[in-house]
Amino acid sequence: MELQAVLMAAGGGSRMMDLTYNTPKPLLPVGNKPLIWYPLNLLERVGFEEVIVITTKEVQKMISTDPKVKLDVKMKLDLVCIQEDADMGTADALRHIQQKVKTDVLVVSCDLITDAALHEVVDLFRAHNATLSMLMSKAHEFTETVPGQKGKKKTGEQRDFVGVDGTGKRLLFMANEADLDEGVVIRKSIMRKHPRMHIKTGLVDAHLYCLKKSVVDFLADNKSISSIRGELVPYLVRKQFSKSTNSPKVIDETHQNLKKNDSNISSRDEELLHLTQERSCWNDHRGDMSDAYHGGRLRCYVHIMDEGICYRVNTLAAYIEANRLAPKLFDEPAVHPSAVVSERCLIGADSIIGASCQISDKTSIKRSTIGVSTTVREKVKVTNSIIMHGVTIEEGCNIQGSVICSNAVIGRGADIKYCLVGSAQRIEPDGEHTTASPHLMSKACSA
Amino acid sequence: MSSRGGKQKKGNVTSEQEEEEQPLQAVLVADSFNRRFFPISKDQPRALLPLGNVAMIDYTLEFLTSTGVQETFVFCCWMSNKIKDHLLKSKWCRPTSPNVVHIITSDLYRSLGDVLRDVDAKNLVRNDFILVYGDVVSNIDVSQALQEHRHRRKVDKNISVMTMVFKESSPGHKSRCEEDDVIVAMDSKSKRFSMGTDEFEIRHDLLDCHISICSPQVAELFTDNFDYQTRNDFVRGILVNEEILGNQIHLYVTQDGYGARVSNLQMYDSVSSDMVRRWVYPLTPEANFTDQQGQGCTHSRHNVYRGAEVSLGHGSQMEENVLIGRDTSIGANCHISNSVIGNNCTIGDNVVLDRAHMWNNVHISSNVEIHQSVVCDGAVVKEAVRLNKQCVLAYNVVIGPNLSLPEGTVVSMHHPEEEEEDDDDEFLSDDQEVGHSKDKTRQKAFNPAEVGPEGKGYIWKASMNDTEDEELAQCLWGLVLNPDPESDSESEASEESQDRTFQLEVLGTLQRGLEENIVCDNLVLEINSLKYAYNITLKEVMQILTRVVLEYPFQQQGTQLTTLQYTGSLLPLLKTWSPVFKNYIKRAQDHLDCLSAVEELFLEQDTHQTAMVKVLMKMYQLEILEEEAILKWFSTGATNDKSRQLRKNQGLQKFIQWLKEAEDESSEEGE
Repeated sequence: MELQAVLMAAGGGSRMMDLTYNTPKPLLPVGNKPLIWYPLNLLERVGFEEVIVITTKEVQKMISTDPKVKLDVKMKLDLVCIQEDADMGTADALRHIQQKVKTDVLVVSCDLITDAALHEVVDLFRAHNATLSMLMSKAHEFTETVPGQKGKKKTGEQRDFVGVDGTGKRLLFMANEADLDEGVVIRKSIMRKHPRMHIKTGLVDAHLYCLKKSVVDFLADNKSISSIRGELVPYLVRKQFSKSTNSPKVIDETHQNLKKNDSNISSRDEELLHLTQERSCWNDHRGDMSDAYHGGRLRCYVHIMDEGICYRVNTLAAYIEANRLAPKLFDEPAVHPSAVVSERCLIGADSIIGASCQISDKTSIKRSTIGVSTTVREKVKVTNSIIMHGVTIEEGCNIQGSVICSNAVIGRGADIKYCLVGSAQRIEPDGEHTTASPHLMSKACSA
Repeated sequence: MSSRGGKQKKGNVTSEQEEEEQPLQAVLVADSFNRRFFPISKDQPRALLPLGNVAMIDYTLEFLTSTGVQETFVFCCWMSNKIKDHLLKSKWCRPTSPNVVHIITSDLYRSLGDVLRDVDAKNLVRNDFILVYGDVVSNIDVSQALQEHRHRRKVDKNISVMTMVFKESSPGHKSRCEEDDVIVAMDSKSKRFSMGTDEFEIRHDLLDCHISICSPQVAELFTDNFDYQTRNDFVRGILVNEEILGNQIHLYVTQDGYGARVSNLQMYDSVSSDMVRRWVYPLTPEANFTDQQGQGCTHSRHNVYRGAEVSLGHGSQMEENVLIGRDTSIGANCHISNSVIGNNCTIGDNVVLDRAHMWNNVHISSNVEIHQSVVCDGAVVKEAVRLNKQCVLAYNVVIGPNLSLPEGTVVSMHHPEEEEEDDDDEFLSDDQEVGHSKDKTRQKAFNPAEVGPEGKGYIWKASMNDTEDEELAQCLWGLVLNPDPESDSESEASEESQDRTFQLEVLGTLQRGLEENIVCDNLVLEINSLKYAYNITLKEVMQILTRVVLEYPFQQQGTQLTTLQYTGSLLPLLKTWSPVFKNYIKRAQDHLDCLSAVEELFLEQDTHQTAMVKVLMKMYQLEILEEEAILKWFSTGATNDKSRQLRKNQGLQKFIQWLKEAEDESSEEGE
C-alpha cells in the first residue's frame, strides 16, 4: 500500500448555514447524491480499496440509517468519529488518527467535486519524493444568481498569493492577503535558487494533499498546528528554504523513530534514495551546478489544473454551481427508473429527476435537479432550481433560480424567484416571492 | 570584411521595411556621470577605454548600426574633445557610413536626465529611438523588440513609453553585475512591468543590458519631471504613477543575444573575456569591425589572437583566450592565459600573465607575475614585480622593482587628495580640470615602500569612513558580494540574532534618549526605522521593547539588585517612556502581547516576581495597559505550570481583585 486515503468530512459548512442547518454538509444532495459521494467516487475510480473517513456521529448515524443518503461505493469505509463541539481542525483530525496511519497519506476534503486526474498530484509526489503535493485549480466565476443575494457577490474573500517556479510545479511561496502587512515579501535566497517565480492569485485550493507519513508524525509532536490549510501547508512551504535547523528534524526524528520502533512498514528507504540522488547527475534546476533541490530535503509541489471541473462546495454559490455541473461527472440516466413522469411534461436534458418522484402533466423542468420522493403537480414550471428530497410542489407554481430544501411544501400557484426555502417550510398559496424576501424564509428555517 | 558586408545588408533590409517611416534614431550617452572608473577615467573617458583593444564606444556604435540605426546622437560631457577626435577619425564619420553620427557636447550635463531634457529641447528625435550608454557591448538584434514596441504603440495609443532589453542569465552568472542585481516583476503575457494583475512573474534571472527603446514621450517626460536624474528614477516614476498617468513600461527578453554594460572593472573583466571567447559574435577581435589599418589579427586554436608583427620568445606559451595587439614583443618562457595585451607592448622573460588586461605601450620586465589586473597605457612594471588580484595600474605609472602589490591596489599618477578636494562637487561628474592641481601633485614625493624604489605613482585607497554610497563609487572592481552561507538561507538562528541585534539597538536608543533627554516622539521614530532596518514585525517590536525596558535596571546596575531597588529604578523609567509604549500598544491584541512579554521576563527573573505587580500597577496607572486586557490575560493567558504558578502570587491576586472591583464600580457608575 503506497498511500492511505483520508477523507475529512467533519466540517460544519459554516459558510452556508442556510443549507447545513438541517443536513450536515457531507450529506447535502448534489445531483441527487450526497456531497461526500464525490470524493469517495474520486478515490474509488483511481483504485483505492479502503478509506479512512473522519466525520461526526450525526453523519455516521445518517449514513447507516437514512436510505436517501445511501453511499454507492464498494470501498471499505473506516469511519472515525470526532466530537463535533471539540472544534477540531483538519490537522487535529489527522493527529487524531495518527495510529492508523502506516504510510504516506492522501487527504481529501468532503466538499471537493472534481474530475482532476489524481495521478498528476501523486506523480509529483513520487517523482520528487516530495513532502507535500497538492491540487489547485483556476478559480471559477459563479455565473448563477445566488438566492438571497442582491446584485454581485461582494469580493470580501481575501486573495491567496501562490508562488510557483518556472515549471509551475514546485510550490515556493504562499501567503494570504490577510497576513501581509506591506506587500508581498519574498526572500532573496529563494529567488537565487529559483530565479523565475510565477505569482498567481485567483486559484482555488482543492484541499487535496499528499503528505509524507513523517508529516503526520510531525503533527503528533506539534500540537499547536490545528489546520492543514491554514497552518501546516504554509509552514511546510516556508520550511523548504530554511537552514537545516528544522527541516531535517521533521524527517530525521521520525526516521529515527521508525528505526527504533522497527516498524518500518513502508518499503522506501530514505537513505538509499539520498544515495541515488547523490550519485546521479540529474538536476532539477538550471543555471548552477549545485545539488538537485539545492540540497533541501523538504519539497512541496502543486498541480494546477488548467481546465476541468474543480469545485469546493463550501458556499451557496458553489453549491448551486456544483449542482449544475455534477451530472456531467457520472453517466446515469437523468430520470431515475423508479420515478413516475407523466408523458405530457417537458423535461430538459440538463435536469435530473430522483428516485420515486412524481411529475404530473404539463410541467416544465429545465436545468434543475429534483430530489428523491418529490412530488410535482400539474402546470408547474421549474427553471434553474434545486429541489431537494421529499418536497411537494402544488399546482401552477413557478420556481426560478431557487433552492428548496427537503420536505418543504410549496402552496398552489406560488411564484418563487431566487429564493432559498428552508427545510420543511410551507409556502402559502399564490404568494409571490422574489429576491427581496428570501431571508424571511431562511431565517424561518433557522429559527 | 565579410561580416561587415552582412551587417550592411541587414541594415538595408530593415530600412526597406521602414521606408515610409523615418530613419531609426539612437541616443548614445558617452558619459557615465559617475566616478566608478576613477582614477583611470581621469585621463581617458570611459567610452574610450579599450576592451579587446577596441574603444568601448565603437562596440556600442557597431551594435546600433547593425540593428539598423541610421542616425545617432552622441552626447559627451567629460573629455568631450577626446571622444570627438576619436569619432571623427573613425569609420562612423566617413561619408559611406550607414549610420550618421552627430556629436553633441556640453559641459552642463550632469546626468542622463539632463541629456534627455536637451534632446527634448533641441527636438532631435522624431520617432521611437534607442537609448544606450557608450559602454554597452552587445550583439542583440533589437529589431524584434522594436517591432513589438511599435506594435504595442499602435494597438493602444502611446501607452507604452519604453521597452527595456533584458538578457536571460541566472544568478551567479559571471556577466551578471552584482551591483545591478535586478529582480523584475512582470506580466508574462503582455511582457509588461506590473504587479497588479492576477498572475505575474518575478524574475531574478534577467540581466539589464541598459538598452532601451524609448518613445519620444520619454524625453518629454524627463522635461516635465525635472527631478529625474537617471533611468532608474524614470522607471520608478512611471511605475509608481502608472495608474494616474497611464504610461507603461515593457520589457523584451532575449535568450541568445549578448548584452552587458561595462559598469565597473568586474564587468570589464567579464565582458572582455566573453568577447575573447567569442560570445559577442560577430563582434570578435579578428573581425576588425572598426576598419582601422593594422588592427587586424589572426585567430587560431584555443582562441589565441595575434596582431601583426607580434614576436614571441622561445618557450613562451599562449595557453588559451589570449589576444595580443600589433607590434608587441614577448620574451622567452612566458606563460600567458586569459589575457588581453595591447599594441606596442614589450614583455620580458619568464612572465606569468593570467586574466591580465594590458593596454597599449606597456613595458613589463622579466620575472613579473600579474593576476586579474588592469595595466593602463604607458605603464612600466619593473623586474620581479607581482600584481595580485584586482590591482590597477593607471596611466604612466611605474612600479618596482622587487615588489608585490597586495590585492586590490590601485596606483595612479594623480594624487588621491586631488580627488578629495573635488568632493565638494556635488554632482559626481568627471568634468573638472585635471591640470589645476598638477603643481601640488609634483610637490608630493612618491613613496618607495608603496611603489618600489624606482616607482612613480600614488596608491589610491577606498576610504572606509565614507558613507556606503561613496565607498561604492570608489571601488573600481565593484561590489563582490560573497554569498554568505549564513544569510544564504532563512535560518531560525539568524532570525534570532536579528532580533537580538534589534534588541541591542533599541536598548542603545533608549539609553541615549535618557542621557540626551530626547523627546519620546523621536525615540519612536528611531525605533520605527530600526524596525524596518531589521525587518521586525510590530508584535516583536513591542515584545522586545517591553523586555528592554524591564531589563533596563539590570543592564545598568547589575543583576544583584534587590527587588526594592529594581522597582525603585524601573518605575520612573516607565513613566518617562510611557508615550513610547502607548505608540505601540493600541489594539487589544497588543495589550495581551505586551502582558505576555512582561510575564515571560518575570518567569525568567523569578526572584523578582513580586515586582511584577508593581510594574503592572504602574503600567495600568499610566494607561499603558487597560484593565480588561489585564483581566483577560490573567484568566486565559496561563499555558504551562510555571505561568500558573506565577498567577498564584498573592500580590498579583490582590491586584486583580482590586481591578475587578474597580471595574464593577466604574460599570455601576456608568449605569
